[in-house]
This record gives sequence, structure tokens and C-alpha cells, in this order.
Amino acid sequence: MTDYANEPAVANLRDYLRIRSVHPNINYNECLTYLRRQAVELGLPVQVVEAVPRKPVLVMTWEGLEPNLPSILLNSHMDVVPVFEKSWTYPPFEARIVDGVIYARGVQDMKTTGVQYIEAVRRLKSRGIRLKRTLHLSFVPDEEVGGHNGMSEFVKTDHFRNLNIGFALDEGLASPDDNFVVYNAERSIWHVTVTCPGK
Amino acid sequence: KTDNTNPYWVAFKSVADEMKLKLDCRIFPGGTDSRYVRRVGIPAIGFSPMNHTPILLHDHDEFLRADIFLRGIDIYVKLIPAVANV
Ligand SMILES: [Zn+2]
Repeated sequence: MTDYANEPAVANLRDYLRIRSVHPNINYNECLTYLRRQAVELGLPVQVVEAVPRKPVLVMTWEGLEPNLPSILLNSHMDVVPVFEKSWTYPPFEARIVDGVIYARGVQDMKTTGVQYIEAVRRLKSRGIRLKRTLHLSFVPDEEVGGHNGMSEFVKTDHFRNLNIGFALDEGLASPDDNFVVYNAERSIWHVTVTCPGK
Repeated sequence: KTDNTNPYWVAFKSVADEMKLKLDCRIFPGGTDSRYVRRVGIPAIGFSPMNHTPILLHDHDEFLRADIFLRGIDIYVKLIPAVANV
């Protein structure tokens, strides 16, 4: 069995998973501290926008060779849904690795995706690659409670418009089989997240 | 839109084909932040590179295999330049 605990990208993911950005009443400061550290390591400038007080959106920007072209947004949310700790085999904010498997709240939805964006940028930069379009990595609050204080308000700001985004990637879902699932639209329903304590 | 009128999607699809990833296009069963992004006219794709993984978001014992996580980084290393160099 590979010793994943010593793999830097895995260690980085586990650091993020250990931050209790869990509903309700999330204090996002620890996430911001973590993300600012990532940006420093990547050598990317960071902006933090509070379209709603105490609901920060952090954006890391990797300028492209043709920065006037519409940019690419890689979005992820920092918050996770609550846990019923007693129902977990391992503590949900410990990010324990057992037989090559990471157990944690947020490991599917969706801190992993945020770290994958960061690690991919790290690798591209270390190879000296430059991209044509500017890349923005956004980390938003409160997706799990509908995004009304997060992305919904952020897209209305001048700050967002100034990012000049042409295309965005965001979370999908896991897939139990061989396929990767791609979502190109959503049902226009009111989605309420309810976590049930029993099975 | 996932058709030939969206050059970013064309780039996404071609690099996925190159890596022999089997893609399955669907309508998202809930709601994510992408709806706000699409509402202001920006095409958005929902994609988390986690196959061979049971859907456990919001559930107890949410887990992911470390090798699937690392493979996802490899996938973004190809995907990001593809869409950013359109
Ligand atoms: Zn999510």
C-alpha cells in the first residue's frame, strides 16, 4: 500500500479537510488563512470580496499571456454540511487515511476539487507553463445553504464582472462506475439540503 | 451548452477523449452555485473527477480513495490548459 500520508498533495488536502467549515454559523477565517498560504506558495495574487459581511469570497488569479481574453473560472465552495459524528466510523474532521481511503466531511463535496485545482496549477507552474487565458480560482461560502449570501451575491458585484469570465467549472458528483459525470444544466427547483441522522 | 457552439466544451471534450475518460452528460439533480454563474450568461460545467466512487456527499463516512484524488489532479493538469488555451 502506498504511503499516501507522505504525498504532499494528500497532506495539503487533509489540512483543508481538517478545517471545520461546517454549517451552521461558519467562521471562514481559517479557510482564508489556509487559502492565502496556498496562494503564497503558488505565487498568485489573492483578492477577498465580501459581497455580504462575514461571507468572504477568495479569488486567486493566474494571469494569462493574453489577459484581455475572457478568463476561466475554477469555482469551489468552502462550506460543508453538518455531521452526526456518532454515525461516523472515523472522526469526520480528522481526515484519517485507512487502506488508501480518506474519510472526511467534504472529501467528495467539495474541498477535494478546490485542492485539485490548486495542485494542478502548482504542477503547471512548476513546469514553466503559461496559459493563454487568465485563470481565476474562486472559493465561495455558503453553497450548501443555497448560495444566497455567497455566489448569488458575488456574481452581481463589479468585482465579479471585472474578472471577465468566459467559462466556468464547478462541482459535479461522484460516479460509482467507470464513467465521469458531466453536468451541463440544472433543474430549476428549490433545493434544500437535509442531512438525515439515520439510514 | 455541451455542443460544438461552445469552444470551451469542445476543448474539454477533446482532452477527455484523449485521456480516454468516459463522459456521461446529465442535468444536475440539485442546485449548485453554477446556476448563478449561468444566470449571468456564463457557460458552466459541473465536473468532479471521481469515478469508481459511491455517491456519499452529505452522508456519514463520506470518503474518497487517495489514488482517485491524485488521478483527478492529473486530469486537471490536462483539462485546465485545454480550456485556458481556447
Ligand atoms: Zn457541493
